[in-house]
Amino acid sequence: MRVGLMLQGSSCRALVLEGRSVVSVAEQRQAGSLADALDSVLSSLRLQFGSLITDVTADVGRVLAAAQPGDVMAVHISPRPPADQFHNTRLPASIEPAVTRTVHVRGGHDLRGRPLAPLGLNEFLLELPSILSGGMRNVAITAVGSTASAEHETRIADAILSNNSDMRISISSDFYSSVFRDRDYTAVLNSALMESGEELAAMLEETGKRHFPAAALSYARNDGGRAPLARLAVAPVHALRPEPAMAILGAATLGGLCDGEVVVCTDEGVSVGTIRSGLPVAHSLIRQGYEASLATNAAIVEPYTANHPVRPDIPSVVVDIRSSQDTPPEHGLLPTLPGVPHLSLIGCAATPLTAWIDRLERVSGQAELQRVQHRAEEEAGSAVVQLGASPTDTRIIESNVFAMPYGNPGIVRIRVRAAGGTSSSEENPLAGQALGATA
Amino acid sequence: MSTILSPEDVGHLRTGAHFLACAIDPTAIHVYAGMIQEAMQDRSVELITVDELAPDDLVVAVGMVTQGLFIADMPPVGDEFTGCIEAIETRLGRKVGAIYSLAAANINGIIPLMVGLQSSLPVIDSDPMGRVFPLISQTTLNIGGVAIGPIALMGVTGERAVVEAADPQRAETLVRALVTELGGWAATVMYPCSARQLAEHGVHGSVSRMIRIGQILDADTSAESKFLSLSDFLGVTRIARARVSHIEGLSRPTDLGLPAQPSSVTLVDETTGQIIRLEIQNEILLVLVDGAVAAAVPDMVTLLNSEHGSVASLEDLRVGNVVDVLKLNAAPQWYSEAGLDLAEPAAFGIPLKHPRRRHG
Repeated sequence: MRVGLMLQGSSCRALVLEGRSVVSVAEQRQAGSLADALDSVLSSLRLQFGSLITDVTADVGRVLAAAQPGDVMAVHISPRPPADQFHNTRLPASIEPAVTRTVHVRGGHDLRGRPLAPLGLNEFLLELPSILSGGMRNVAITAVGSTASAEHETRIADAILSNNSDMRISISSDFYSSVFRDRDYTAVLNSALMESGEELAAMLEETGKRHFPAAALSYARNDGGRAPLARLAVAPVHALRPEPAMAILGAATLGGLCDGEVVVCTDEGVSVGTIRSGLPVAHSLIRQGYEASLATNAAIVEPYTANHPVRPDIPSVVVDIRSSQDTPPEHGLLPTLPGVPHLSLIGCAATPLTAWIDRLERVSGQAELQRVQHRAEEEAGSAVVQLGASPTDTRIIESNVFAMPYGNPGIVRIRVRAAGGTSSSEENPLAGQALGATA
Repeated sequence: MSTILSPEDVGHLRTGAHFLACAIDPTAIHVYAGMIQEAMQDRSVELITVDELAPDDLVVAVGMVTQGLFIADMPPVGDEFTGCIEAIETRLGRKVGAIYSLAAANINGIIPLMVGLQSSLPVIDSDPMGRVFPLISQTTLNIGGVAIGPIALMGVTGERAVVEAADPQRAETLVRALVTELGGWAATVMYPCSARQLAEHGVHGSVSRMIRIGQILDADTSAESKFLSLSDFLGVTRIARARVSHIEGLSRPTDLGLPAQPSSVTLVDETTGQIIRLEIQNEILLVLVDGAVAAAVPDMVTLLNSEHGSVASLEDLRVGNVVDVLKLNAAPQWYSEAGLDLAEPAAFGIPLKHPRRRHG
């Protein structure tokens, strides 16, 4: 049996899933603190189900979104700093105040991974004592071209850590975007949330292990997958907005939908997402209008409009979770499932481990392209096994190659997603169908 | 008639530049538009028509040339274009009177506004492509015999060069090689010419057209209403509303020194059952419907989200997505013999003559 948890404020809610069936829904438990609420919910589940619980996955997105971002020092690595006030890019207003200092370091790489300028490490080392003396612990490092080479980011990170190993460092090459300001924003936000991520991971680990010592403990990710709690401390940004993905996955799980469309009717409107091979289709960015995008893999969930193409040949699940169902849903939609109020909790309980490989590669032709793509698929599979998946229950969900318009001939972007379960008998109930579908 | 552009105009220009870029990721346009709108708080930029200038006024094209670094990964720091204009003025011994866009789409459609803000030079509502092409030799000025050089460049690291080459194809080769060594992109100033030459051989109304397209697409109306407005304004036709069924990278051999990899997308029009094939290299070069040519470069092909009427980027093309494939004609100069020599499919390595050449 698998548990999905939703944490918010000082409250916690849980759901237990067995296969595709919901066997228990715990009401929201409010307590004096989030830790107490979690302890109360898990204690109750332990009394009911004991060692039958094999996996616990928590959605901590609302807690992270409400957390006060820590102060961050931004390190920008590029050949030259802006020459005037017009050529500064801005971070979204919500995170801009968190950046209390910005340091420019000479360096950066082109798309081929060639240095644009020698790294200004010596100059940075001269400045480092004043940086460390300020008491700042969070650092975000972003270099031009770090999608092609992370060398300059990692050398600056190493220089900081060798002087103070307690610093929390986020480097932008951990987040795929070919846009500097997207990576900068994501690294800054990630760094600002690392302390909250550490605290949440420690709380979930301690409480979870106390009640379910043999269970796998995970957090829900924005792409509809999950990862072990240790990753929450270093990459909290991937846990910031999992709810839309989990709702899509939850509805698909209930409807037994492995490939198709999921339509969810809520009081706020109707949204639609796509399930492919048992997981929500995801984009590598969360776009925010014309502002910087968040470079995290996240489910694509869009408003359902009157122009939405209705495809009878494509399987779909329509769920109506409005508070009142006295009137039919908009757009003449007919629910295919009874109203289920805890879709995202079902998704949390059902979600598999996921890992991505998203990087630039140099290729000279089709044969080499196939080689690098195959290598990326193997690495994605290994990555999901490293997260705890069983090697026999690992599958490639998508494997794509993107040409780079106006890029360098011979450079392509390889993007692969793998998923896996920790125990093949109990893992994602859609996985078996996914394998069947591709066999 | 001269116009002072507003931040709202820049917002619409951003959308229009994306639409005409035929599906390129618009982030660099967004980054630059944001910087321009910020700069407009205490400065203004003037848009003029070319006939407002004296015939002998010196005008220059400004634009980015890329080969190996995304502009959105490192936007210009700010001194590049003004430095290039100074270099041209020094070389020619004359002051530049106004600037124009190297292309009427994508990042180069919007860059002259920032240069105008910085330099106080007016921006001419003309360009030498009427769309965007990947090569600097693919211009109507080249068709008209206007010299491409001297060309001033400043790269990512602040290093500079001036290229003197009489032949535009040779200039393209030299500039492309330099850009690689300058760090992956270069700010450039080229095609220095008289206002009279630009009036005779340029494409006109480029900036105002992008703004008008943006007004249509940014309006709070249905996708169908936007399409009809675009059809009225530009003569846009819809080739198909189709679902993506297959995406293939590196789908054609290329050895022509063109930036980027060729790729292909197959779609199915689920109403008619027709198979739509898009051949892409930077832009959409060719559209086949059941194997017959429905559009071919220099025709412009762009994609709209069929539900929202927003511009779809190539990154939005995922298997299963439904898009409208739209076609619009390029500037008339491109359908001349000389124009087709420069910009028909064969110029991009696709062994195909443009239908207008075959059928007159």
